[in-house]
Amino acid sequence: MTLIVLLAVPLVGALVLWRASGSRATVLHGLTSAFTLAAALGVAVQVNRGGPLAAVDGLLRADALSAWMIALIGVVAALAATEAPAYLRPDAPGRFYPLFHLFVFTMLLAVSTDDVGLMWVAIEGTTLASVFLVNFERTRSSLEASYKYLLICSVGIAVAFLGTVLVYFAGIQQFGDEAHALRWTTVVRLAPGLAPRVIELAFVFLVVGYGTKAGLAPMHTWLPDAHSEAPAPVSALMSGVLLSVGVYAVLRFKPVVDLAAGPEFARRILLALGLVSIAVAAAFLWTSTNYKRTLAYSSVEHIGLVCLGLGFGGVWGTAGALLHIANHALAKSVLFVLSGRIRKAYGSTEISAVSGLMGPMPFTGGGFLAAMLALLGLPPFGLFVSEVMIFAAGFTQGFPFIAAVGLILFVIAFAGLLRTTHAILYGAPSSRHPVVEAGGWPRAIPLAGALALLLLTGLAWPPGLAATLDRVAAIVAR
Amino acid sequence: MTTVSNLLAFFGLVVTLLIVWRQSWPARRRLFVAQSLLLAALASAVGLFAHRRALLLVAAVVVVVKAWVIPRVLSRIGAGAPVRPIAPGRSSGMSVLVAGALVVVAYVIMLPVTAAAELPTEGAIPLAFAIALIGLFLCVTGRDALGHILGFLVFENGIFGLAILATYGLPGIVEAGVFLDVLVIVLIMEAVVVEVRREHDSIEVDRLRELRG
Repeated sequence: MTLIVLLAVPLVGALVLWRASGSRATVLHGLTSAFTLAAALGVAVQVNRGGPLAAVDGLLRADALSAWMIALIGVVAALAATEAPAYLRPDAPGRFYPLFHLFVFTMLLAVSTDDVGLMWVAIEGTTLASVFLVNFERTRSSLEASYKYLLICSVGIAVAFLGTVLVYFAGIQQFGDEAHALRWTTVVRLAPGLAPRVIELAFVFLVVGYGTKAGLAPMHTWLPDAHSEAPAPVSALMSGVLLSVGVYAVLRFKPVVDLAAGPEFARRILLALGLVSIAVAAAFLWTSTNYKRTLAYSSVEHIGLVCLGLGFGGVWGTAGALLHIANHALAKSVLFVLSGRIRKAYGSTEISAVSGLMGPMPFTGGGFLAAMLALLGLPPFGLFVSEVMIFAAGFTQGFPFIAAVGLILFVIAFAGLLRTTHAILYGAPSSRHPVVEAGGWPRAIPLAGALALLLLTGLAWPPGLAATLDRVAAIVAR
Repeated sequence: MTTVSNLLAFFGLVVTLLIVWRQSWPARRRLFVAQSLLLAALASAVGLFAHRRALLLVAAVVVVVKAWVIPRVLSRIGAGAPVRPIAPGRSSGMSVLVAGALVVVAYVIMLPVTAAAELPTEGAIPLAFAIALIGLFLCVTGRDALGHILGFLVFENGIFGLAILATYGLPGIVEAGVFLDVLVIVLIMEAVVVEVRREHDSIEVDRLRELRG
């Protein structure tokens, strides 16, 4: 029941908002976001107390992994929603809010269905819902970004469809017309008997397809464009949770291929893609001259880290990767929201145009610094813990060489990002003068909340977090 | 059934190669219609032989969506564009050669699937996959938005054909999702291309190069 409410709230909100305008739209938007967050947290608590939830004859199902993602989408969507009203243009009334909630709906549907076919439809839906949000400013560059985004992700997702078809094919070849052969629970149950070569081939297609959505290099080429051109709340959603939904889809198929063909196959692919992603991101983190693109490449790096963790496996690797997904989502969405405010003040996304920002904008700059320290993986923030978990898993699970290469690339990326941060905050003051900083505590509260959560995952795990992560890891690592 | 499915998939491949070979846009659009009709024929043939009524419905939807609605949208997108690409680019002989090589690649990649299959239609599976690969090739090498969209649609047709041959039809909700998807993608593409044309006065992709680094 709560699952249906969870999906109904953003969907109904989007439909109602389609015809709303003015201050009424803002109020409705706020209500929809608040109820979505409440429902998401409700589902998460319920699953953690009483085990998996199901609805609509099992079509919708939320286990611990789904609940983890649902809670994350709820929190990041709420954070992005608080920033959204600042981006509404008077001449395009009503379009932004409904598409925003539709986008959230498709992501929630993708992680709360048991049917891998419906999951595919929902993930494709995320592209369709967000493509107009990327082109919201209707400039030449945002148009180009949305074109690339639509084309590359559509092709990617079609490849994932091929993978899904092959999984279904393997199921019905082996077990006849098994009812619900596309249900994840069925697929995992049957996995040990599925034809291993077919499942391996399917997994390659699935990783390429969903990896495109997840922003794994070399399929990441749409990502820096879309993330840098979209309005800040949308960038926050894309970088924070859309990429994670792509990873989630791969995660659902990892136990299937592990059970059907042994753990080595998925491991090799994930480790290779993880290393390539970190390497590509490290190179561009040193060369990018646009701070929103820098943040986007940093997302590629972190998704690569998550893949490394999943590839290393074991409880530490898997739990570390899942914790890292959440940590990265929180830190990156704060940074994108702040980058939107910086862009508004300076009217540019070039690093050189905003350098020395700490002088004129101490309020925003301070927040940016705090979130950036978190993103860089410095203690006391949560990313430090999850990164230690991931690399520790590498060294203890018997991959010291790969872990060492990953660590070196990670340090290169770290230095590049640090250099950019320094230029933005403390560089030679730029000739531009920013519009006076729109301060006020209300606008800082959601961001402070996200940073506080990062402190929690970094310093003192709340009771139950360890148990939750164990439950989630048990679903992925079999 | 084996003969019919092999024959239809083979014709589909021939049409795909013709799409690679032809340069004129209206001809390529008509070939795409022919390919979609072959796909519909394949769906109804498999539906009849395997007693899957649902596939007949799928065939009808293919005819409506892919052989009628989408080509109409395509001709709207293409209206005003020159019949042939302005720049005399690659020779199509080379492209056809690559496409031929892709057919061999498709057979190699699909070996595990054909080995595991015990279906009368298994012989046609690599052909459908070859269509998909050639579509991907068209999409990647396309020089304008039309080339990209057409490549994507051919790619999608190939995958859909493979799905029919290998599974005799997916659950209804997924099939419906696929059709809705392709339709919405093409409609959004139209909206985007209209804007690209307004901004750049052309739909050649070479002009889309603001975002670098």
